[in-house]
Amino acid sequence: MEMNIMGQKELHKEVREAQFCTGCGACVNLCPYQASYRDEVITLHPCDLKEGGCYAFCPRTPTDLDALKKRLFDPKDLMPEIGAMKGFYITRAADAKVRAKGQHGGTVTTLMSLALQEGVIDTAILADEGQTLLPQGTAVRDPAGVRKRGKSRFVVSPNVAEFNRLAKEGGKKIGIVATPCQGLALAKMRLKPLVSYADRIDQLKLVIGLFCGWALSWRNLVALLRKKTDLAEIEGMDIPPSKYHILQVYTKKGSMDISLDEINPCVRGACWYCPDLTGEFSDISVGSARLSEGWEEAKGWNQVIVRTERGQQLLDLARERGLLEFREVPGGNLKKLKTASMSKKKTAVKNLILRSRDPQNLFYLDSKDPVLGTLARRPE
Amino acid sequence: MRVLLMGNEAIARGALEAGVNVAAGYPGTPSSEIIENLSRVAKERNLYVEWSTNEKISLEVAAAASFAKLRAICPMKQNGVNVASDFLLHLAGSGTRGGLVLVSCDDPGALSSANEGESRHFARMVEIPLLEPGDFQEAKDMTKWAFELSEKIKNVVMVRSVTRMSHASGNVWFGGLPDKEAKAAFRFDGPLLDPESGSVSSLPVSHSHPVQQGKIKKAQEIFEESPFNTYQGPKKPELLVITSSVCNLYCREAIHLLGLKDRVGLLKLGTTWPLPLKLVKKYLLTTDKILIVEEVIPFLEESVKILAAEQAREIGIKTFYGKKEGTIPMTGELNADLVASAFSKIMGVPYAPMEPEYEKSSKAAGGSMTPGRDLTFCPGCPHRASYWSIHKALQLDNRKGFVCGDIGCYSLGLYPAGFRAVKTHHAMGSGLGLASGFGKLDAFGLDQTVMAVCGDSTFFHAALPALVNAIHNRANVTLVVFDNGGTAMTGFQPHPGLTVNAMGQEAPNLDIARICEAMGAKVETRDPFELEETRSTLNRLMEEEGTKVLILRQICALSPEKKGKKRYTMRVEETRCLGDACSCNRLCTRIFRCPGLVWDQGKKKSRIDEVICAGCGVCADICPASAIIREEAV
Repeated sequence: MEMNIMGQKELHKEVREAQFCTGCGACVNLCPYQASYRDEVITLHPCDLKEGGCYAFCPRTPTDLDALKKRLFDPKDLMPEIGAMKGFYITRAADAKVRAKGQHGGTVTTLMSLALQEGVIDTAILADEGQTLLPQGTAVRDPAGVRKRGKSRFVVSPNVAEFNRLAKEGGKKIGIVATPCQGLALAKMRLKPLVSYADRIDQLKLVIGLFCGWALSWRNLVALLRKKTDLAEIEGMDIPPSKYHILQVYTKKGSMDISLDEINPCVRGACWYCPDLTGEFSDISVGSARLSEGWEEAKGWNQVIVRTERGQQLLDLARERGLLEFREVPGGNLKKLKTASMSKKKTAVKNLILRSRDPQNLFYLDSKDPVLGTLARRPE
Repeated sequence: MRVLLMGNEAIARGALEAGVNVAAGYPGTPSSEIIENLSRVAKERNLYVEWSTNEKISLEVAAAASFAKLRAICPMKQNGVNVASDFLLHLAGSGTRGGLVLVSCDDPGALSSANEGESRHFARMVEIPLLEPGDFQEAKDMTKWAFELSEKIKNVVMVRSVTRMSHASGNVWFGGLPDKEAKAAFRFDGPLLDPESGSVSSLPVSHSHPVQQGKIKKAQEIFEESPFNTYQGPKKPELLVITSSVCNLYCREAIHLLGLKDRVGLLKLGTTWPLPLKLVKKYLLTTDKILIVEEVIPFLEESVKILAAEQAREIGIKTFYGKKEGTIPMTGELNADLVASAFSKIMGVPYAPMEPEYEKSSKAAGGSMTPGRDLTFCPGCPHRASYWSIHKALQLDNRKGFVCGDIGCYSLGLYPAGFRAVKTHHAMGSGLGLASGFGKLDAFGLDQTVMAVCGDSTFFHAALPALVNAIHNRANVTLVVFDNGGTAMTGFQPHPGLTVNAMGQEAPNLDIARICEAMGAKVETRDPFELEETRSTLNRLMEEEGTKVLILRQICALSPEKKGKKRYTMRVEETRCLGDACSCNRLCTRIFRCPGLVWDQGKKKSRIDEVICAGCGVCADICPASAIIREEAV
């Protein structure tokens, strides 16, 4: 698939107007024309440059995913369902306090804190709580700062915008927690398609990917939750395994279950077209675990895919230091994860074909991609 | 004494020669200089002069003087007559006592207006006499005479000027100034319907309307003998040209240019409604071809045609040329060239306004040698900064929000100068009125953010009733008041928000913020030069329900207090400005576009034009590379 670089006008037409924008923030803080505000990416003024970083880095402009994976990962590690994999683990933070402040096992918090401590990175970009459930990309420079921001947010935090802002300053070693779309944006930056931004990406030293089914639209979520509770009461949220079919909201008064039937209309439209469940473009990616003991136990653990050498080193170091606890991965977990991941890819392809009415036209995805192309050609 | 006077000065002089006592108006180009000139001599000539809150009130103030047996003048621009028209209709029915002259300065071609509305129709509609000066001497003499006419028929008289009369200059012979002490008294002790001592009212209409029409009849008789209606030309012209106002000058020039003085007759009418029947009929009998030359709507043309139809049995069938038939353009200003072209067509005399070769070369030179100039705000104008923040707030708000615009320099919000934030633009105060309506359409699914803007003078003029309406009806609207400390566009005339009146005396100022608060709106005040603060305040207000007011206070860059004083010295740090290598894509000169910022073609970087930069410092906050440096001016 050809990756032609175009400008803001095309970005606006192909991504924003087409409602494929994930709000990842990749086009923000490169120039004065794009902004991130209240869960939306906004065009402030028209820009007539023919080629822009905004278009080049956007995870929803045409991308040859196959070539990108082969370039950034060891081709031997690539699996069609979940991308590159060097190892598959179930882990949790050894420190119970980290687990309490984190989501599930607190693995992301532990790894990011360690990277800071060891000087692998000097700046970590992660989602901060923000006001009224609206997360913000925030840069922290100390492990304590990481530990305060361990919760999942369920609304996109434009972390790549914060990366762009910091990378422009130069001279940093940056680690970032990224959703799949954000990981893809950063991966596209690594290709250095535009000279004016080329040096910046060299400051990116670590990407911790998040497993992501979808993100919620902030306006929709807030409208829904306001009907049910005082937003100030909310302390966290979670999505248990699919058989429960609920979103759990933890409030000061206790836990509240909201049926996914109510949540689904709140999902950010763009997410229905996303083919990546496991954060394939990362050094290491982390999600919730599945254990035979059931959800009550499993929700204290994470499933981890190590994708790069750099990711492996960090995980090994965490094990060595006793910062992470490991347990045996139940047989069948990887298969289940692969099935779930393929299911998201299928949904994305199906939804894109519903829009285009043409199996050859997957918009920003490549109909000749070895994985996605097959899904497109397979009759339903 | 003969003096070179601007038309508006001539009108003011005519009023002084008539012994005017009271002058009240509202600023509006091209009328403002009449009040301004009178206010300068207010003390010396013992006048009361005021800038009223709006035109309707100015006519009421002037009428009160008339009712008290004083002479009063009330100048306004054409749109002002619309505002005053409600009272005008009643006034025309009630009649007047002291001489009362309404001066409307129309703006054919809309040189400084949002339309080229016609005020002449009001004279016919409310049945009052209409006078149109045909040169600068007449502008003075006719104004003076209008007071006498008003007192003769006991009704208001309308004098209509146009931009090229009000703002051009010509020689005027002065008359003397009267030395009469004026004593005001309003009598109501006589019989109820007595015009001099009863009540002043258009009631009962069965009585007053026939009386009013009698006045018009009387005016028509007087017009038959008026020296302001003149004829120049042969006894039996091949073509009779009937004209009025400044078109008189164009016609005279065109006749001269084409050497037609022995073939074309020019009937210049100064009294254009009601038409002097016998006079017009007399000239219609001299020829069969008639051309009516006037600007904008075919008002005179229709009046003449009606008259000709009524007299057809005696004068016979005529061929009319003019707007209806197409020889004279239906819209825009006229000039001597256009009139000469019309003559040329009818009379078969060749006429080329300019040599074709010259036309070609001048167009080419105009294209290549003159710099491109936008319709834009001045350097340092607070409106540019205000619209910058409004535009950004609306974009971020992301609900397809829009601004209902209003009348002032900030009308340019329709254009790139205001980042095209303004999407409706009508009469004074209509921005908020429309917004009040839009702000109720949520019930029908309108989920867009609704904003209105108005200036400080416009706020008092006509936005106040709209604000009452919006608040009372719980319209979801954010009003931004551009408070730049005066009626800036028309030349810094004071308004009720200021501590000075038209005569330079101290006056109590009304506080816009407190008024809005007292009315029940949520009110914030910001300095528009603080871009981020203004923007975030706007975004916050847009999220709130109901009617909110943000007052953006920063005085006009051209105001006498500020003009020439730079707060900051601005410069572009060349090492930081990356020019085309910056991802900013020339934000400062391509989007922000303050005329004080220039793209240096040689260096391929931005620079400050120090000659015109007003030193407001705002551009330093928009440069993403922080290359524009602001230093406190010493």
